[in-house]
Amino acid sequence: MKLLPEFLKGIIKQNPIFVLALGLCPVLAVSTSVKNALGMGAAATFVLVGSNCIVSLIKKAVPDKIRIPCFIIVIATFVTIAELVMKAYSPALNRALGIYVSLIVVNCVVLGRAEAFASHRTLPASLVDALGMGVGFTLGLALISAVRELLGSGQLLGYTILPGFQPALMMALPPGALLVIGGMLGFFNLLKGRRE
Amino acid sequence: MGNKLIVTAAPHMHAHQSTARIMWGVSLALLPAGAAGVYLFGYAALAVIGTAVAAALATEWLLQKMTRRQVTLLDGSAFLTGLLLAYNLPSGVPLWMPAVGSFFAIAVGKQIFGGLGQNIFNPALAARAFLMASWPAYMTSFRAPGFDAVASATPLSALKEGHLRQVYSYLDLFLGNKGGCIGEVCVVGLLAGAVFLFLKGYITWHIPVSYLFTTGILHYVFGPSGLFSGDWLFYLLSGGLVLGAFYMATDYVTSPLTAQGQLIYGTGCGLLTAVIRLWGGYPEGTCYAILMMNAVSPFIDRYTRGRIYGTGKMR
Amino acid sequence: MNAGHFLAIFISSIFVSNVILSRFLGLCSFIAISKETRPALAMSSAVFFVIVMSSAITWVVYNYLLIPFDLAYLRTISFILVIASCVQLVEMVVRKFMPALYRMFGIYLPLITVNCAVLGVAVLNTDMFFSKGKPLPGSFIFSIFQGVCVGIGYTLAMLLMSAIRERLEYSRVPEAVREFPIAFVTASLMSLSFMGFNGFRF
Repeated sequence: MKLLPEFLKGIIKQNPIFVLALGLCPVLAVSTSVKNALGMGAAATFVLVGSNCIVSLIKKAVPDKIRIPCFIIVIATFVTIAELVMKAYSPALNRALGIYVSLIVVNCVVLGRAEAFASHRTLPASLVDALGMGVGFTLGLALISAVRELLGSGQLLGYTILPGFQPALMMALPPGALLVIGGMLGFFNLLKGRRE
Repeated sequence: MGNKLIVTAAPHMHAHQSTARIMWGVSLALLPAGAAGVYLFGYAALAVIGTAVAAALATEWLLQKMTRRQVTLLDGSAFLTGLLLAYNLPSGVPLWMPAVGSFFAIAVGKQIFGGLGQNIFNPALAARAFLMASWPAYMTSFRAPGFDAVASATPLSALKEGHLRQVYSYLDLFLGNKGGCIGEVCVVGLLAGAVFLFLKGYITWHIPVSYLFTTGILHYVFGPSGLFSGDWLFYLLSGGLVLGAFYMATDYVTSPLTAQGQLIYGTGCGLLTAVIRLWGGYPEGTCYAILMMNAVSPFIDRYTRGRIYGTGKMR
Repeated sequence: MNAGHFLAIFISSIFVSNVILSRFLGLCSFIAISKETRPALAMSSAVFFVIVMSSAITWVVYNYLLIPFDLAYLRTISFILVIASCVQLVEMVVRKFMPALYRMFGIYLPLITVNCAVLGVAVLNTDMFFSKGKPLPGSFIFSIFQGVCVGIGYTLAMLLMSAIRERLEYSRVPEAVREFPIAFVTASLMSLSFMGFNGFRF
């Protein structure tokens, strides 16, 4: 049982955002700044790890027909925990992320990993898979938000990087998010095409 | 003459027209309005036009080289895009803005869709909306005509902010003696070019007439002091409406193909323009109205296309 | 509660904060199922129906179950259960009584459970129309109306996008940006044009 490849595949080869194009709603909505993106990535990773572990543990006990609702309840439980923790310790982040924290429940990455991986794998493998996917998701989110924050406000993590630059406000708005993700997906396709 | 653009199944008649001819023809028709813009706003306007056109041509060349496609600078489409973008900018913008805008227009508005004839949105308008969303402060600071660079409002923005508008006579509006974007102010120049386009058969009446008619009616009905009291002529002569209706809404690639579809499209443009002007947050809605209808245009085409010869009734 | 309020919700849900193009809810389904008009229409009508229904039911659940028993923190779990059962119910009813309709959008129904637009509207309704644990006046009507408008906004975006992508099928879109990337760029330009409705006032 090799665990390292299971971890690494989520970061590059099967990156949930750029390769699988999953879980894009929060990616676009909260990527206005790197800070929000990291918060979102942390919350999503927490939910991924928690739900993948539990799903892997209960996989034998769950009847096949109602497995999806069961998985969703498991996921929703972890989302609620994440929500409450965030509300208690970082209310500002909670306000910035808004409804998108609750919406981790319906994030295709989380349900997708539970269904496609954890529901028929061992606990350690599921744990590592979730960690890899979570890190990959967070990295992708950070990358997109870095581009948007840099172009949209000339800053990174709140520090001004490009002093003389007139920020293109559009990048911080919804059309900018769609444009950046479209451009990045195209760019990665191009790289993939070159390598093959 | 007017029937040249009707889309039908074969047999067809050759009409001695080519993309390049039409593109350069439209550019030629835009000349009087541009000349008036330079006369009114000074050399700054000329610099904006030059930068936009040069950047558009450079981007087109670069992208076609990079994607190893045939370089088609001479078909005039990139030139026209740059020209139209410049016409939609205020004369006082810093010169990097037309350059960035032209790059956006050609790269994101056109080449990413596969180049000329494949784009969904009018590239110049997409770029204008991009500049408006990105650097609104520059895009809304207009200068009064004359070489002294006095800050001024456009008639529409003055109206939106609630100032009186006695300063503008219809003649002023018609000739272009008002604040605004470089190419939109001189209505008489634009109309002269439009007449040329009609005579050449480059555009048909469907889109401009349905567009202007709808906007005019709505402005007349929803006037400032109750129903049917609007000053429709003032609204028709203000802002980018004439430029939009004759030169940008009629873009072949991004408007519907059939006459019926064009009437729907023009009416939609008119409706959206008036709604944005009357109740929206922006003083002028032409650009957004045309962009929105560009998005609707494949849908209109889908439901107005003619039946194929020899097949049954239209679905 | 007046006409202006309704109009504001209408314009805002359909254009300014379009559920897909501005709030990015239901984006996965938007990108995946907008390749052709027919399935896009089927998907949108299914989503429309479920959104309206779940807006009503989640309001009732929130107002009469969660708030009185001080369980508001269970919002996410209970809403997703409501939506899942709602979808299940719709599927059964449609299969039994409207087999033609079932054939049309049957396969999309199960997907709607995880369509963030549905849960998103339910959560938005409770954020917007409840204040300090009390429903604002007319909040039930507003919730349903917002559900209807979001459904319209979703359908509009889906239909326009599907017609555009049908046309793009015949375009010489560069290899690297085919499919998803070009769909996102198109969506970006659509979203840009919808910005024209920013700052509406009546």
